[in-house]
Amino acid sequence: MSETTASTDTITVHTGELDATITGIEDRLAAWAADTGTALAALSGRVTGTAVDKLIRPVVEDLVRTPDGYVAGAGFLANAGLLGPERSYIAWWQGEELEHVDALANFSPNSISRYVRSEWFRVPVETGQAHVTGPYVDFLCTDEYVLTFTHPVFCRPGGPVVGIVGMDVTVQRLERGAMPALRRIGERATLVNPDGRAIVSAAPDIAAGDLTAAAEGCSVHPVGRKFRIWSGATAL
Amino acid sequence: MLLTPQGASRSLAAVFTPIKSRGLVDEVCGRIEQAVETGLLTSGQRLPNETELAAALGVSAVTAREALSQLRTAGIIRTARGRNGGSFIADDVLPSRERALDQLRELTRLQISDLGLHYQAIAAACASVAARRSDAADVATLRSFIPTAEADPLHWRLALSEFLLEVAAIARSARLARELIRLQADLGTLTLLPCADAGYRVTTAALLGEVAAAVEARAPAAAEAAVKDLVAATTDWLLTEQSKRH
Repeated sequence: MSETTASTDTITVHTGELDATITGIEDRLAAWAADTGTALAALSGRVTGTAVDKLIRPVVEDLVRTPDGYVAGAGFLANAGLLGPERSYIAWWQGEELEHVDALANFSPNSISRYVRSEWFRVPVETGQAHVTGPYVDFLCTDEYVLTFTHPVFCRPGGPVVGIVGMDVTVQRLERGAMPALRRIGERATLVNPDGRAIVSAAPDIAAGDLTAAAEGCSVHPVGRKFRIWSGATAL
Repeated sequence: MLLTPQGASRSLAAVFTPIKSRGLVDEVCGRIEQAVETGLLTSGQRLPNETELAAALGVSAVTAREALSQLRTAGIIRTARGRNGGSFIADDVLPSRERALDQLRELTRLQISDLGLHYQAIAAACASVAARRSDAADVATLRSFIPTAEADPLHWRLALSEFLLEVAAIARSARLARELIRLQADLGTLTLLPCADAGYRVTTAALLGEVAAAVEARAPAAAEAAVKDLVAATTDWLLTEQSKRH
């Protein structure tokens, strides 16, 4: 691989750049989860849909309207119990026009059933840990090929998960941002999820969504909590 | 006026077609109908008033009012006056055999067979890519959508459409998935009719198993062939049924 892979120094610089991008998204989300928990706790049990909207919407507006930002949509999803026993509440918006996602579900008394099986909701609720889902085709919100970063929200340390905050990052935006650095790492450098599925690849024969394997002798670099860069990858 | 091949392309011409304001009303109605069909909104449940609905969906109050009126005419909602009044999801709201038969009567053979061909093309593309990109978790999810023999027609219809959407999800193509959703909307309640036929259920259950097996075996050609047979089973059933009724 030596002729198609950059020098160790160059690789360190550019993998570091991509790690900073993803870690930046994850850190922003963690800070938002903490702020949301504090604000919900301050409502001391009087949590309404309107109050949640007022809390979440300005942050989403800020996130999706950031020039050259990665976030296509973002929001909060209440766990059962916060607003009603079987009720969820979705305060999620997408696009510059801030389209309110899945708004009709908020009129359903059993709306929690709609989300409990979704990986992006289930995993942070069950584990109490941040999670990244995808890349996957998101039928609920964007109808795009996305990564969804989600983080549990707690009103008090050690308390129950009252909901999740999340951000949708389209693979398309990530490709625009990550491709130049990937190319400098190597002709076949590839950003992959934990399953080895390509998110962005410099190799012309590897498309987003393809399953890939690390090429023999390539270097592996962690990116954010879950992803890796392989300095060289092969299509499966 | 013929714009091609000398003039501008026909797809460019379409850009300048005015967007009908009707579109937004239909969109709101479609969302509510879909919420009912998937069980999110159920019979007897109160809908938000015009102002709340408009705010939630980000449309004008006029659009919301028109949508509610259209849903009322279509029998999806009923309105009660007075202190406990408001709009409610109607009692007999789920797709019915009668409504599906009405739809079948309105369609020509040409429309059905052409829709079938389009559906086959999209589903086949999804299946072939899905067979290249599937992992073990994908296959388990896909199999979970195969309904059991005793499922009722409504459930069977929903399961079939969810199964094909899952094939699109495994293919990981947003465009193909969106096209599939559009096609399923075009087919409407029509697909309820074959689902009431035990013979059709046996045939399709076997084909669903074949698609899942081919996706699991990473055999694109076999997945494509099985999914084409699956769509053809529906189209053929509808064409046969229609010819019986004429």
